[in-house]
Amino acid sequence: MLLVAMRNLICRPLRSTLTAAGLALAVAVMAGLSAFGEGYRRSLDSELSRMGMQMMLVPLGCPYDAAARVLKGRSLEHSLPEAAVLEARSDPAVAVAAPMLLASVPRPAQGRTDLWAGIDEAALQLKPWWDAKAGERWFTDDDSVILGAEAAEVEMRSPGDLLYSPEAGRSLRVVGVLARSGTSDDSLFFVSLRTAQQMFDSPGRITAVAIRLHDPEMLREASGRLQEARGAQVVTMTEMMGAFLNLVGSVRSLLVSVALVAVTASGLIVFNTLLGSVLEQTRDLAVMRAVGASRVQVFVLIGVQAGILTGIGGCGGLLLAALLGPLIEQIVRGMVPLAPSGTLLSLTAPVLARGLGLGLAVGLAAGVYPAWQASRVQPALAMRLE
Amino acid sequence: MQPVISALNLSKTYRRGTEQVHALASVSFEIGAGELVAVVGPSGSGKTTLLNLLGCMDVPTSGDLSIMGHPTRGLSERALTRLRRDQVGFVFQHFGLIPTLTVEENIRLPGLFSGKQVKHRAAELCTRVGLDHRRRHRPHELSGGEMQRVAIARALLNEPHLLLADEPTGNLDSVTGGSIISLLQELTAQGLTVVVVTHNDRLAESAARRLVLEDGRLAPSI
Repeated sequence: MLLVAMRNLICRPLRSTLTAAGLALAVAVMAGLSAFGEGYRRSLDSELSRMGMQMMLVPLGCPYDAAARVLKGRSLEHSLPEAAVLEARSDPAVAVAAPMLLASVPRPAQGRTDLWAGIDEAALQLKPWWDAKAGERWFTDDDSVILGAEAAEVEMRSPGDLLYSPEAGRSLRVVGVLARSGTSDDSLFFVSLRTAQQMFDSPGRITAVAIRLHDPEMLREASGRLQEARGAQVVTMTEMMGAFLNLVGSVRSLLVSVALVAVTASGLIVFNTLLGSVLEQTRDLAVMRAVGASRVQVFVLIGVQAGILTGIGGCGGLLLAALLGPLIEQIVRGMVPLAPSGTLLSLTAPVLARGLGLGLAVGLAAGVYPAWQASRVQPALAMRLE
Repeated sequence: MQPVISALNLSKTYRRGTEQVHALASVSFEIGAGELVAVVGPSGSGKTTLLNLLGCMDVPTSGDLSIMGHPTRGLSERALTRLRRDQVGFVFQHFGLIPTLTVEENIRLPGLFSGKQVKHRAAELCTRVGLDHRRRHRPHELSGGEMQRVAIARALLNEPHLLLADEPTGNLDSVTGGSIISLLQELTAQGLTVVVVTHNDRLAESAARRLVLEDGRLAPSI
């Protein structure tokens, strides 16, 4: 049966290939979107977990924009008074309150923007996984700088090297290079909070305070209390995650709708191809019926053709999704408000199975009517259609 | 001895729009094992309708038909298919070969539907009809005579008791047609019952018996 079905498809190579390609494209889009949803959620979750905090104090304004910028190490237009740290630390629910001052320094000549982060010792409590690839994992004095892995590569610096800072008007000594973490830390230049405040002319100011609680169950009460801090607002990581997943989910829903149209169109292509094929094969099908094929066997024959087409289309689609994954990821990364550093497209086994399953379901559903039509071909037609 | 075909008052009426067409009217006959019977008559006399009924590809409007002692009246579609598959072989005027399959695969086709192991039988039939060297060829690479021999080999695959042929020499030149007639005679000599619908006088004359149809009625046997 498989052989006969294969031969029927092979003898019309262009039509079969185009049909399978149409289905492959639809499956690739669906699998890609599904993989994006999974990957984005997973990466965002992982990145937020690695931040080691449950909430953040940021200046007034859009809290999600502020939090997203801080998480990516980008500066804000407004700042908080350093007193906000003391206020946070005095709250009984707060275990760690780590202030940070972030600054973006454009380097038009080099075509990049340097991202500086001023931190104090509390940061190490939030990120115990911080590891120095070379040198120290903490500052030795106010003139020392620790580079993220990518920043060190771009600057071509290693521990002991000097790094001139036009902002500070002085040279800083690189005392350590961090191991790659897959987070925004990789591209940052870390200095002590004091140094950063001097460098960027922001004495007594900070960009945000990252907060870890003694007990995450106390999030609601602590958040309510800290909301009272002057000039500051609280944004929790759960809210952040929910807000971004909602936003990305909406975009994804729109894209899934478009993809569903593509899948439906590909189903119609399979339907049209098989129906055309049945009409072309009417004489052959009648001959098969005459030489002993039952209606069920003819139905199965066309069903197998549909299965082969959709199987090839489905597998091709998954391959396409895997090959085009990096490209899709690059495009998506520029479109979403907070793109985590990890892989956004997660082509896991369930995602692949869903993509293939959808392709097969659509293809086989599209094959039912043509197969039924084929099974109704009367054997007597073998005589009349000669 | 039980006849291979037993037809009693076989009638077939079609509806064409509002008009009733009596394709066959009360046709009765019996055909025994090993007979070569020619069904002759002018176009529209009901020859093909009769062949369809004998091959269980259609059901009579009235009358009784038995194939190898199996009454066909009231049989389900599935049972008719099984009877056709196990007892009847078909040869068509235009050969009815599947163009995408090779000679050997075409011969093996009925085996695909009967679920029998037919590889050796197909090879044996290929040799028997003299097409060993054409085994892997496609139908379009064969001559008319070769295609008809493939069709005959295919019809014989399931070892039927009855071979039905619709104008088996209709598309062949006289020499090739002659070889097909010889093959059919050879098969009847081996005990196979062959019923051919034909306009070919030579084939009709080679038959032991002729059923002459005129306007759906059977004329007295010749």
